[in-house]
Amino acid sequence: MMNRFNHLPTLKVDTTQKIAFIYKGKKHYGVKGDTVATALYANGIRIFARSLKYHRPRGLYSLDGECSNTCMEVDGIPNVRCENTLLEDGMVIKEQNVKGSAENDYMSFLDKLDWLMPAGFYYNVMHKPAKIWPIAMKQIRKAAGLGKISPDYEMPGKFDEVFLNTDVCVIGGGPAGMMAALSSAQKGLRVILMESRPWLGGFFEYRSGQYKDRQALHERALFLANEVAAHENIRSFTSTSAVGTYNNNLVTGFQIGKKEDVFDQRYIEIRAKSVVAAAGCIERPLIFDNNERPGVMQIACALRLAKTYGLLPGKKAVFSIGHDLGLEAALELHDLGLAISCVADIREDGHDPELLKKIEDKKIPLLKGWVATKAHGSKLVNKISLASVDGLVSKSFDCDLVVASAGITPVTGHITVAQGTLKYDNHTGCFLPDQMPEKMHAAGRVLGLNDPLSVEASGTLAGLQAAFDCENCSIQEIGEARKALENLPGPVRGTKLVTAPVKGRKSFICFDEDATIKNIKQAIEKGFDVPELIKRFTATGLGPGQGGIPGHNLPLYVAKYQTLPDVSIRPTNVRPPLVPTLISTYAGVNHKMFKITPMDEMQRKDGGIFRNLGVWQRARYFSNDLTCKKEIENVRSNVGMLDGSTLGKFRIHGSDALKALQRVFVSDMSKVKQGRVKYSAMCNDDGCVIDDGVVVKQGENDYYFTTSSGRAGQTVEWIRYHTRYDGWTFALVNLTDSLGVINLSGPNARKVLEKVVDIDISNEAFGYSEYKEFKIQDTVQTRAMRLGFVGELSYELHVPSSYVKAVWLMLNEAGKEFNIKNFGVEAQNVLRMEKCHIILGQESEQRTNLLDLGLGFLWDRNKTEAKTVGAVALRQAENDQTRLKLVGFKTENNTRAPRDGALVVDEKVRGYICTARDSFSLNEAVGMALVEGELSKIGTRLEIYEDECGDDRIYGKVVKMPFYDPEGTRMKM
Amino acid sequence: MALTITCPICGKRNGYEFKFGGEEKGPRPEEKDLTPEAWCDYVHMNKCVAGVQQEWWFHKDGCGSWFPIYRDTTTNLEQEDQKATNQEGKNDEQV
Repeated sequence: MMNRFNHLPTLKVDTTQKIAFIYKGKKHYGVKGDTVATALYANGIRIFARSLKYHRPRGLYSLDGECSNTCMEVDGIPNVRCENTLLEDGMVIKEQNVKGSAENDYMSFLDKLDWLMPAGFYYNVMHKPAKIWPIAMKQIRKAAGLGKISPDYEMPGKFDEVFLNTDVCVIGGGPAGMMAALSSAQKGLRVILMESRPWLGGFFEYRSGQYKDRQALHERALFLANEVAAHENIRSFTSTSAVGTYNNNLVTGFQIGKKEDVFDQRYIEIRAKSVVAAAGCIERPLIFDNNERPGVMQIACALRLAKTYGLLPGKKAVFSIGHDLGLEAALELHDLGLAISCVADIREDGHDPELLKKIEDKKIPLLKGWVATKAHGSKLVNKISLASVDGLVSKSFDCDLVVASAGITPVTGHITVAQGTLKYDNHTGCFLPDQMPEKMHAAGRVLGLNDPLSVEASGTLAGLQAAFDCENCSIQEIGEARKALENLPGPVRGTKLVTAPVKGRKSFICFDEDATIKNIKQAIEKGFDVPELIKRFTATGLGPGQGGIPGHNLPLYVAKYQTLPDVSIRPTNVRPPLVPTLISTYAGVNHKMFKITPMDEMQRKDGGIFRNLGVWQRARYFSNDLTCKKEIENVRSNVGMLDGSTLGKFRIHGSDALKALQRVFVSDMSKVKQGRVKYSAMCNDDGCVIDDGVVVKQGENDYYFTTSSGRAGQTVEWIRYHTRYDGWTFALVNLTDSLGVINLSGPNARKVLEKVVDIDISNEAFGYSEYKEFKIQDTVQTRAMRLGFVGELSYELHVPSSYVKAVWLMLNEAGKEFNIKNFGVEAQNVLRMEKCHIILGQESEQRTNLLDLGLGFLWDRNKTEAKTVGAVALRQAENDQTRLKLVGFKTENNTRAPRDGALVVDEKVRGYICTARDSFSLNEAVGMALVEGELSKIGTRLEIYEDECGDDRIYGKVVKMPFYDPEGTRMKM
Repeated sequence: MALTITCPICGKRNGYEFKFGGEEKGPRPEEKDLTPEAWCDYVHMNKCVAGVQQEWWFHKDGCGSWFPIYRDTTTNLEQEDQKATNQEGKNDEQV
């Protein structure tokens, strides 16, 4: 393990606390505060992964996760961005996309075959002949790609989501962001501050340069961070990346949890009145031959390795830079003990004179107007070639570290995804904000500023502008802040060089997708002229780094290479998520929610096998016999109990309640009599059946009605929608969850019920299709309906949810002598199918109308003044011969029942099987099917095709419905 | 969802709480003498304007009421200025 500095004030690691982890099966140690990447670096690991296409060695480059170089498998999760992942005790880390190891990859010969893979070779080469493609695709997929994942992989970890409201949302916790947050907060506004690193401070935090009055930049960063922490109006989210910004000032992002947090990652959605975009800058990569060889890294990466993590990035270094930050870093690293052979600066002039003097004082050789041209060494850098920018003179140095950076580039994604625009700025050579989105303000280095005081002043200004959006700031104050900024140094001239004077066969513009300068040239030669199209054709910037590495260089290079007289330099588009985000983070916590009924506990005790049905979890079976033979037979011969609590249950009352019912139910609801149960249906405006249920009149304009389980959630919405213009007075009360339903069915049902009530419930006193209210055991208020869904004598008992368990126990006790048993949803399904009672969604699909189901008798066609939903369409459909009809059928020769959903065919598809079962009650296989009209006559032979049945067909014959007890004597007894 | 909707009862709320209910097309037509075409137009035809549209929303995770709002379909923002592009023709007819 490398020695660490342990005295630097900027350190974010605790070198006294060791953390063990496993890399390639061996135990290694990092220290507290390390990221996975820095811990590996500290252990001398330089090659982290192999590249996508050519299997080139890749190592630490940016330290902020801007490329896929350091994507690794951590604890079984592929493509983890190691630079952004904090090291934890016991982590198991593996390299990915390698055959062998990252050090020795058998596939590295691919690097020599680049001539076989020009830009767009997928589209150009692999389709002639077409047969090649499937084979080629398989091979390519095997060799290329990053981490692997199996299709049944389940993501471990805890994910959460949080939706916040605030006045001002500040993206970026650097000096500008912190100043913006403070100035808004001081105006009394609530502020949310988002920072992707685990701490605030931005580009001040790791630098020792002077802020002012002998205060170092890192001291200033700490001061501001403390101010922010102390301000009660500011809520800071660190380790939080903003990944999307939308109009209406919606900001989305995700936060990586600390150990003590209840989540590993959480999705954050912030609705703000105003937004400040202050995400700072990243470095613009310098392009030369082998510019991604491990050992080549960006300025901030080298500097932060030392200053934040205490690791000297190498022994002997060469710098090839184009910005004062490079000179500053060279000085700092030199002071920390790095031997610097040479600093090549792209710029001839425009340097900070103070820095130049210090470089001279320390005797660091400086070459002005020079640039790196080629990194040597097959796996790690061991030598670097430099040349003058014009390529005329050259030099070489032995080294193990090349610090390379062409310049800086603002992180403007938060502005452009919210439909803001950028403009190329000739002075800085950067894309700077042009038109800002409404109520969004840019601050800091995003504006091209670099001077610490200017950066802070722009933050203050943006904070006040945001306060102005919230009507908490005057124009004068903004004017003063603007003047203060104008008196400070503005943006400095930036370099525009993209690539060293090289041919570019091994000069990589995009690391993630292995795209070289040569690939870009090839695309341009093919006629692509717009950066956005070249980006797609060459895949440049389409990798996990989201264009962080090539986003700025590509448009600059395209503009230059095309040598057009007046070419406008246009940036490529970025899209959310701006930072790679886990799908699990978006999915959040809610994906296994369901409702349970009040009978849940008792049914589970009785061995119920539960299934999710719609929003509910229901007992589907009560034994492992999935045909439910015993359950069915017990209902037919004794008595059974079913949990019907999932039924939608509603009360509608108020002076216009009847009118509302007339609007949505197809029947004439004015004919519903007190004490009777009316079965009816609801259609949509196309006449298609959407719901069925029963209605009970409790008084004038006071009704109780049920809906199917799946529709309960939409019933209020539906009735209110279709009466929205009428201004009617009625109240709708959803009683679905407050009432439970027990369905007591079977020839002995009355005998059981008689034992728990003390009123007369004989067939004469409480007949079929009647409604009664009474108390069970003198206590439980019950609404009882005599229905016959399963075709037997049955009582549907609606009782308050809190009493369901008690009633269930009473009935169980009372029914002991009659062998009362549970039955589940599947048994009910077979029982009602034998009786040809439909279940919507099974005997119907979206296009099935009331008439198709043979339920036309429910429809009262004379109530036109009610404007019943669906009536117009039903009238039009009445004479339509092309529609499917619901028929009953039984199979020929006692063959088994076809599967639900099997097709009815002849030369073509003529319909489908809705429900079919081998009936124990009838000793034959019966079912219902929706078939074309001409097949619906009694006696028609149906040819039934099941999935993958080949030539084996099942044959059926259309028969009369219902199959069981056609006269209905059993349910009326 | 970037959209916020102002419910007449609950005030300005997150768009996630609401369910879309289609363009404003006026009350249900009288059934007498209604042609199938006219009916189909009423139920299924939409203007789909690029501009300010008057449309219905349901406060599903809230008070459970239906109400119309004006929304600019090009920006997906609710408009306070109550002039809808999809209602222009209608006003002419009334005049």
